[in-house]
Amino acid sequence: MKKFLTILICKLLRFVGKLIGKGSSMPGQVALKLCPDILKRMELPRYIIAITGSNGKTSTVEMIAHILTRAGKSVAWNREGSNQIEGVTTMVLSNATLSGKVKSDILLIESDERYARKTFSYINVTDYVITNLYRDQLTRNGHPEFVFDAIADSVHDGTRLILNADDPLVSVFGHDRENVVWFGADELSTDTKELDSVYNDGAYCPICKAPMFYTTHHYNHIGHYRCTACGYHREDTDFTITSVDMKKGELEINGKYHISLALKSLYNIYNILAAFTVASLVGIDGEKIAREMNDYVLKNGRVINFKLGSRKGTLLTSKHENSVSYDHSLRVACACEGGCDVLIIVDAISRKYFTGDVSWLWDIDFEMLGDDNIHEIVLAGTYVNDLAARFSYTDIPKDKIRLYESIDDAVGYLDSGRKEYIYAITCFSDKDKFLADVEEV
Amino acid sequence: MKLLHLYYDIMNLYGDYANISAVKRMLEKSGEEVAVDKLSLSDEVTLSDYDFIFIGSGTEKNQKVVLKDIVKYKDALKDYIESGKVLLMTGNSFELLGDLITDGQGKEHRGLGYFKYETIEKSGVRMTSDIICTASFLDRPLVGFINKSSVIFGINDTLFHTQFGIGNSDDDKTEGIRYKNYFGTHLTGPVLMKNPHFLTYITALILGREPEAAHLTYEQKGYETTLRKLSERAQG
Repeated sequence: MKKFLTILICKLLRFVGKLIGKGSSMPGQVALKLCPDILKRMELPRYIIAITGSNGKTSTVEMIAHILTRAGKSVAWNREGSNQIEGVTTMVLSNATLSGKVKSDILLIESDERYARKTFSYINVTDYVITNLYRDQLTRNGHPEFVFDAIADSVHDGTRLILNADDPLVSVFGHDRENVVWFGADELSTDTKELDSVYNDGAYCPICKAPMFYTTHHYNHIGHYRCTACGYHREDTDFTITSVDMKKGELEINGKYHISLALKSLYNIYNILAAFTVASLVGIDGEKIAREMNDYVLKNGRVINFKLGSRKGTLLTSKHENSVSYDHSLRVACACEGGCDVLIIVDAISRKYFTGDVSWLWDIDFEMLGDDNIHEIVLAGTYVNDLAARFSYTDIPKDKIRLYESIDDAVGYLDSGRKEYIYAITCFSDKDKFLADVEEV
Repeated sequence: MKLLHLYYDIMNLYGDYANISAVKRMLEKSGEEVAVDKLSLSDEVTLSDYDFIFIGSGTEKNQKVVLKDIVKYKDALKDYIESGKVLLMTGNSFELLGDLITDGQGKEHRGLGYFKYETIEKSGVRMTSDIICTASFLDRPLVGFINKSSVIFGINDTLFHTQFGIGNSDDDKTEGIRYKNYFGTHLTGPVLMKNPHFLTYITALILGREPEAAHLTYEQKGYETTLRKLSERAQG
């Protein structure tokens, strides 16, 4: 009876919440108050797929849901991105009958990495994808090893892990474990022998702390590594990006499936590979997955094309307090043929909490904007002076850089006689201030 | 002049390296020729060769790896500090110079033992906070961020007094340690870049005279912005 009432109330709150535009956490929060172990009492489908990690969760989940739905499966997933236990509870209960049976073939859960333990103490995940461990929101998350420990507490013995073999911090989860599916990339044409970034979180073995040796770097600490002491190494992969062609904007999986990229960059390739892996494991044919992924444009608003007067551009939503995310976006801009201008906005560091910490700016490889493809750099927002100080420690000539505290003024400057394509790089917390000044296309 | 960024590749969590960059530039603007050595675990260093040594923050595990290594400098680092040369340690690196670090599993790790302070790490706990603090030797407050899993007891010669945010231990408004020209603080990342007056003070100690500070326009404005933002926050 308690279960029935809890589900009913959750559904009602969700229904009303949707009408008045409220978020998706509250109904679950109430449900958990009424019945703290409600998730345990639900009848869940055969496949319970979870995704966690620092970057790419939302995009990966969206693409998995897209492929599976198009293949005729019914999927319950947290499309609104509420990824802590409250949001997951809302999603599960909303997709269930009043007797507590989830009606979908597949339950697909994006989970916050810090609090996954809480959610998965009630849900026995069958397939668990861990994407990567980066320096992400360290003012909240401490550091990647701290997050590793938090995720470790959420992994059950019987769960099949689906791991990024190219990330040495993630691969520890599969060390000496059966029942692991590995995904990763072969040596790619875009790789470097020496690491091209400000810091290296793969410098030392995560297991024994001896120096690690990389035969190739995809980017940051992602690549092919081996510990010089204990032998810990990158595992052979079951699902593999066998090549990328950045001129054509195409990637190849397992030597035979070709997928053209909506954005000619490494930006999304691991998310595509993770989605490919999950869909394959659920039994979808590789050709079909590749077809669905061709030119797939993410619907989660991470990449938005815009017009500003006679100029065109793309907003690359990047995460403040996340240098890998910024590095990715900067690489997209640097690859722009014919040259471009870059706008970087740091106005509010987070939309969810307050901090004035800008130390993460020093971890971003802004040096790469010295590339000839980058014509002008416009820095804007409350923290424009911290950005300017950071840029003053690169070799980029000062006359290439413009500073505006006001976002409107920065956009006003860009809305000029210049013709270059514009890449706008900023976070969720600041992107709406920018989008208010341009026309989305 | 010679600057040493020690354990640069393993104690570098929050852009801490920028402290070395800031000191280097200021010394150069002041007319000095500057060489920076970035060295780490496998290196053997003659500490007395340097005019400034900096160590940044690391994960709890990496700090223990460094603790095993830094023992080789036990006498040399003590001599360096006693000679009055400048040593800056940010984040959990300065815990190494105390008596004891007890980790989250209750295991005890002996520190270098120069000072009587003790560190206790808390498993699964992260204490983070924006900070406004004051120093007796500076006429304006400092801004920064603390990001740690530990509390420290037994520091007599505090470096800062926190006005907003956390200190050495739970209800403690003291933060960090100063002894001669050894500065230890749990403020993480580019502390000197964010506080141009602190940078000027430290550089003056290294240089033995007032350094050139006219180039710090962005840093100064950035400091004012952060101080304003944090003060607004502190007042609710």
